[in-house]
Parts: sequence; structure tokens; C-alpha cells
Amino acid sequence: METTLASLLHGFAVALQPDNLWYAFLGCLVGTLVGVLPGIGPLSGISILLPITFGLNATEAVIMLAGIYYGSQYGGSTTSILMRIPGEASSVMTCIDGYAMAMKGRAGAALCIAAVGSWIAGTFGVVVLTVIAPPLASLALKFGPPEYTALLVLGLIFLAYMSSTSLVRTLTMACTGLMLGMIGIDNMTGHFRYSFNLAELGDGIGIVPVAVGLFGLGEILATPSTKVVGEVISPRLRDLLPNRQEWRESAMPIARGSLLGFIIGIIPGSAHIISSFLSYALEKRVAKHPEEFGKGAVAGVAGPESANNAASTGAFVPMLALGLPTGPITAVLIGALMIHGVAAGPQLVSEHPDVFWGFVASMYVGNLMLLALNLPLVGVFVTVLRIPYAYLYPLIIMFCVIGVYEVSHSIVDVWIMLIMGVLGYALRKFGFDPAPLVLGLVIAPTFEQSLRQSLIMSNGDYLIFFHRSISLLLLTTSAILLLLSAISFVLQRKDWRTKLAEAEAGEASS
Amino acid sequence: MIVRADHVAGGAFVVFGLAIFALSGDLPFGALSMPGSGFMPKLVAGLLVVLGLALVARASESGPLSAIDWSDGKHASLVFLITALGVASYEHLGFILTMGLMLFGFLVVVERRNFAPAVLYSIATTLIAYATFAIALKAPLPIGPFGF
Repeated sequence: METTLASLLHGFAVALQPDNLWYAFLGCLVGTLVGVLPGIGPLSGISILLPITFGLNATEAVIMLAGIYYGSQYGGSTTSILMRIPGEASSVMTCIDGYAMAMKGRAGAALCIAAVGSWIAGTFGVVVLTVIAPPLASLALKFGPPEYTALLVLGLIFLAYMSSTSLVRTLTMACTGLMLGMIGIDNMTGHFRYSFNLAELGDGIGIVPVAVGLFGLGEILATPSTKVVGEVISPRLRDLLPNRQEWRESAMPIARGSLLGFIIGIIPGSAHIISSFLSYALEKRVAKHPEEFGKGAVAGVAGPESANNAASTGAFVPMLALGLPTGPITAVLIGALMIHGVAAGPQLVSEHPDVFWGFVASMYVGNLMLLALNLPLVGVFVTVLRIPYAYLYPLIIMFCVIGVYEVSHSIVDVWIMLIMGVLGYALRKFGFDPAPLVLGLVIAPTFEQSLRQSLIMSNGDYLIFFHRSISLLLLTTSAILLLLSAISFVLQRKDWRTKLAEAEAGEASS
Repeated sequence: MIVRADHVAGGAFVVFGLAIFALSGDLPFGALSMPGSGFMPKLVAGLLVVLGLALVARASESGPLSAIDWSDGKHASLVFLITALGVASYEHLGFILTMGLMLFGFLVVVERRNFAPAVLYSIATTLIAYATFAIALKAPLPIGPFGF
């Protein structure tokens, strides 16, 4: 514990350097804007701005990009409460009671509760991350190729199980991602695979063109400006403080949301989305007056907003300690670290303490910055929301092209982005979630290498995965999850995932 | 028989999986004790075919293909076309000309905005982006025939 505290103090020394403070602030500001603006999610925001970090060192880059991620969770509540449009997918549940509170003249109080809840949950998440990430990283150092293979299988199965679309759809997307991740030179034999004599494909398909295409351009293709509503409720600054009753009603939902969100955040899947849904369901279940939900219940704002922030911090635990992305956003962050020559995973704490502890400490500072940013500047963000979408999306496309081109100055990457944009548009039409595709793309090289190494180690005996206790445990968990999914698939039972999909679809269409 | 969305989607993934098999002819599968470079791609392609068939088999759960709303198709096609033209000319015309024309295209062709505000907006935002990326961040942007 003393070592952790000493390391954390070192982290604060790094995070409080003027340059790092500036990049944390910039990340939080951009993240809030990304969260506020409908049509740009944290993934496209991070992907588009990734090339800007090339001139920075690894610590500055990860501090800024992570700031965009958790900042977007704060900002997403603004459009949900003021426009009933989720600025970010995880804010879907906030639309229901947040907007109802706004209609009752309590928009300021709803924004304040969302911001304070987010701050408490974010800080709680960072405290737990500080305590559990280093020992988890030490444990992961004992992992060999079979354990890594089993861990990645579990990650994929967990993702499929937690997904709001069906298991088959999620696995299909993940397999497509794995397939794309195998394009280029095979690391173990040097064979060129599916590169069609294009030298640019020799290094494989990058995560940036795929993520920007699927999530940035794909979203724009599917969103004509006529469908974007511009009516915003403007809260008055003097109405920002909730009354005593509202504070009392929000205290326990914030506490429950923080705990629930962090636990779900560690699990692979779109944790920040799922956590807000589950928190809403939990609050409704434990409420003395569940009939108030949907009509402006304070707990319906406080719980989900706290949960999605705690989940976004929880997602950093497997990313930092195991090098395992729990979703597409952490996958892009791992990619960003790799571009800067730093591998996320068990060695990160020991080999790059400045990056690890500087990043952890910056999240304490960043959460404070976000609290200070979100309340007094709510008027500024409301003004941003009034920019017509017809003028906004051409600008986003320009940033997409610049961002993707600047990664390796390759026009082939920009073409890949364009193709992925069309694919993302088509996938939306057919009800597929493109997020598992990005995850598959990122884990493909590690997954293939660890699987092949395991088989070589055992001279072709696949029982190696069952002879080692950790991989056996991980694979057994995967089998249980598959069995649970199969039962609900065969019985065609409506479980919480179906309800989540219905809630998301309902809000999207309203 | 009603053609459902998952008939088409599942069929597309089956075709994709089979195409990978066809393209993997020269990649050795190897043996379990020494997997080759074709080992994983063929394994994943096989899974894609199986999952595609599962989608087709359960297609009755999805909506009819004709029920998919393509009302945004015109917007999507125009945005795609203008972006593709921009990408094709990016390295030939350079950053300023390409981006200026691309933004102008979006505003006038797709959004039917007035000519003068569209010109003003396109020039101003392109120059601001150029100043931010090329001058402030020193990011090398493509240069056109006129030296910018």
C-alpha cells in the first residue's frame, strides 16, 4: 500500500506538470464537446484527434485521449437533459428523467446532479483503479500464451454475451474484425496475406481508418441534417443548484451507480452503455415511488450518470493491467500507446511508471476539471448545440480525412476509411453493432500469435488449455456464458439485454 | 417467401467467408503442432460461414428486407460521392483546394445552401484548419500544383 501511495505521489508530480495539466484540460474540454454534440461519439472523437497526439510524448497523449473519453461521459448528459437527444450512447437512460426534469423547470438541477454524480463516480473509480491495477498487473505477469489465448476468448465471449444485439451478430462482427486484423505480413512466417500487391497493406489495416470510418463517417452517412433537431432548453445559471430534497434523493443512487458502474466497466462489452441501463433498472426497482420514473425522478438521472462515468474508469483496469481492451475505445487507446512505443499490459507499471501513474493521477485532476467546466460553462455548450448540423458535419468529414491521412501519410488509409464508412452505414441498416469489429481487429495479432504459440509449445495438443489452471478457469467461464446465451436463444426469453436494445431503439426513434 | 434482412446479411457473411477460403489457397494451413500462416484465417473464415448460416437459419426473427428505411440513401450517396472525389484529388490538388471544394460541395450540392455563405464558410474553415494543422501543429499536409 505504501508503495502504491508513493507511486501515486510520483504520478501527481507528473500529472501536475504544466504541459500535462494543459493536455488533461484540452482532453476534458474536447471530450465534453464530443459528448455534447449528437453524432460524434467518444470513439470517433478519439480516433479523429489521435494523429494530433503524434507530436506529444506517450504520457501527454494518453492523458489527453483518456480525458476525451471520460469527458464525453460528462458532456453526453447535457443534450440528453436539454434536448432529449443522447449526445453519447451511454446517456440514453438520462434522456428519460433528465428531459422530464427539464420540462418541469429543473434543467439546471438535473445538469448539476449529473455533473456532481459523474465527478463522485469518476473519482471513486480512479481510487479503486489505483488500488487494484498494480496487483492485477503483477498477477498477469504469470500469464503465458495459453492463458492469453483463453483470456482473449473470454473477452470475446463476454463481449458477445453483454451485447444488446444477438450473440451470433456480435460474434460475426468480431470474426470480421479478426479477419481484417490478419491482413498483412504474418509475424511468424513472413507470408503476405490478402495484401493484393499493395505495399501499404503489408503492415495490415490500421485501427484509425477502420474506427473513424465505421463510427465517424458511418454515422454521418446515416444522419441527414433534416433529421437533427435544434431545439434546446436553456437553463438559467441561478437555477443550477438542486434543492435539499433533490440532493437527498440523489445521494444513494450516486453511491449505487458508482459501485455498479465500476464493476461492469471491468467486464468486456459496451460497459458504459450497459451500466447506465442496469443502474436505471436498479433505481426503479429499489425506489419507494417507482411510478415517478419517466416523469422526472432525480434517481433516474443520478444513478445512470454516475454508473456510466464509473464504468468508463473501470474499463481502464483490464486495459492498463492486462493490455486487454474491453471495448473499442480502450482498443483505440491501446493503439495510441503502441504508436508512441508503449505497450499496455502487465509491464506498463514497471517499465513506464511515468505513463501509468501520471495517467492515473491525471484522472483525479481531470475529474475535478470536468466538474469546474461543466457547470459554469453549460451556456457555452448550449450555444455549440445551436450550430446547424448542415455546417457541422462537413467539418467533421474534413477532420476525418486529415486525421486518417496524417497517421502514415497514406491515401490508401483514407480509402479504407471511406469503405469502412459505407460498411458502417450498411451495418446500421441491418442492425449490426460495429464495435466488436474494432475489438476483433485490435486483438487479432495477439490472439493469433498466442494461439499458435500455445499449440507449438504443446506439440499440437489442444488440451494444453485445460491442463493449466488459469486458462481452464477462463475457458470454463466462457463455456458457462455460452451456455447461458444458448438457453435464452433456444427459449427465446426476453432478458435484460433485449430490454436494453429496446430502450436504445426507443430513445433513438423518439 | 418473404426475403428478410438476415437472409441478405447472413448470405453476405457466408459469401465473405467462402471468398476468404478462395483467396487463401496459397497460404499453408500447417499442422496443429506447427500452424501455418493460413491456419487462423481459414479457422475464422469457417466460423464466419457457420455464423452466416446461423443468421440465415434464424432470419425469420428479423424484419423484411423491404422494411429497411433507405430514406437517407440520397444523402448518404451524395456525401459518399463528394468525399470520394475529395479523397481522389487530395494528393493531386493539395489540402486547401481539395478541402475548400469538398466543403463547398457538401453545402451547395447536399445541403442546398446559398452560394455566398457556402463559399465564405468553405474558404474560412479550410484556412483555419490549414493554419491549425500545417502551421501551428506542423503536420505535413499534401501540397497542390500551386504550392499550397
